[in-house]
Amino acid sequence: MAASVLGWALRAARQVVSSPCTRQARSYYVDWRMLRDVKRRKLAYEYADERLRINAIRKNTILPKELQEVADKEIADLPRDSCPVRIRNRCVLTSRPRGVKRRWRLSRIVFRHFADHAQMSGIQRAMW
Amino acid sequence: TSSVLSTKKDESTASKDSTTEVASKSQESTAETPKQKLLDIIGNMKVEVSYRKKLQQLKTREIKKQATNKLEGPDSKGSMLQKTTEDTQRGKPLSPELVEAASAVASFLPLNKKQTESELIAQLRRHEETTDKQKKGGTINIRNVISEMAVKRQSPAQRGVRISNRISLELDEDGQRIKPERLSPQSFDSKRSLKVGRRLNIFTKASTGTENALKTVSSPTIWDLEFAKEIAAITAQPPRNGFEEMIQWTKEGILWEFPIDNEAGMEDDAEFHEHIFLEKHLEDFPKQGPIRHFMELVICGLSKNPYLSVKQKIEHIEWFQKYFEEKKELLQEI
Repeated sequence: MAASVLGWALRAARQVVSSPCTRQARSYYVDWRMLRDVKRRKLAYEYADERLRINAIRKNTILPKELQEVADKEIADLPRDSCPVRIRNRCVLTSRPRGVKRRWRLSRIVFRHFADHAQMSGIQRAMW
Repeated sequence: TSSVLSTKKDESTASKDSTTEVASKSQESTAETPKQKLLDIIGNMKVEVSYRKKLQQLKTREIKKQATNKLEGPDSKGSMLQKTTEDTQRGKPLSPELVEAASAVASFLPLNKKQTESELIAQLRRHEETTDKQKKGGTINIRNVISEMAVKRQSPAQRGVRISNRISLELDEDGQRIKPERLSPQSFDSKRSLKVGRRLNIFTKASTGTENALKTVSSPTIWDLEFAKEIAAITAQPPRNGFEEMIQWTKEGILWEFPIDNEAGMEDDAEFHEHIFLEKHLEDFPKQGPIRHFMELVICGLSKNPYLSVKQKIEHIEWFQKYFEEKKELLQEI
């Protein structure tokens, strides 16, 4: 019995343990603004369905207007950080709010740094 | 040599008191070369039908016939005896005539007489045992096994077809080789079914393994987990090459599994009609009025949505149902 339990635990641990090769270990967010952005994203994810449904009632020509006004009030009551409009696509490494390329989630400076050191897959200096 | 053999004959007749058929046979065979003598004896005494022994003896006989050197003959005969004899003790006593015959045979061999005698007696004992076994019906009768079999003949044309089937260079639309359709194990030429025929008793029924009853396992202690982690960390060697690295990444989930499965991680067991015909969920709604109109539009939109699962769609509709029920009083005012 103990052997079977141990075997199960071993299998679980084996999958979790990563290879000994080192990667960047980041235990903190770059700054507080990044943290707030993370909170906003989480809330937006949680309330996404509700917002969608209440908005479907609001942006309607069939339902009576009183119902739509009630829906307006309801959506205003939701937490402010739950709306997706407040999310800002910051740079993942430096938390720079501007000059961020969406595909890599990196600011232009970091992108250039990595590309010059040949650490961006498939990126080459343009020359034509 | 005939005179020498005749004198030997007289000696043997003089030495023995009771001459039985076997003894006489053995004496008759002394006229032949000692090589063939043993062959005849063993051929007469042989009772067992087992295939392996047959093969062995056939092989040894062929070897004997090919061997021209007389010295080699008896040597190989002795070795054959060693092969075929066992050293286990039998409880049943042999008839004294056979014992005497064995001793006579041994005496005529140039080899170590006692050894050959003991070997011959052991052989005799084994024969007795097999005869008893056969009388009881315990040994595997090879005839039963072979009776069911039939020799399969492969015409050269068929053979060519089979080889060409293995090397099929046709490519499917996806770029995968077309495998020649495998014959089901039942569709053979002989059209035999698997369950017809006498039981052969070749295999013993494996005793059903005692299944470990579901023991109530307490959740693994922290020490167990730590130990397991330690072992995993030690045994996990760094990848030796790129392939092993990719394997590791695939296990961790960093790398997708190739060929890419578009539905990986998506287990939608529902049929298409459950996605499209969602009107049955609208039973609780009023059948007239703007709300019904609104919900029908919602359903139309959901039926065209390929990204949601059936459960999510049902939840969507139920949320609306709850919402409108809460607003009933308001709606009745209107």
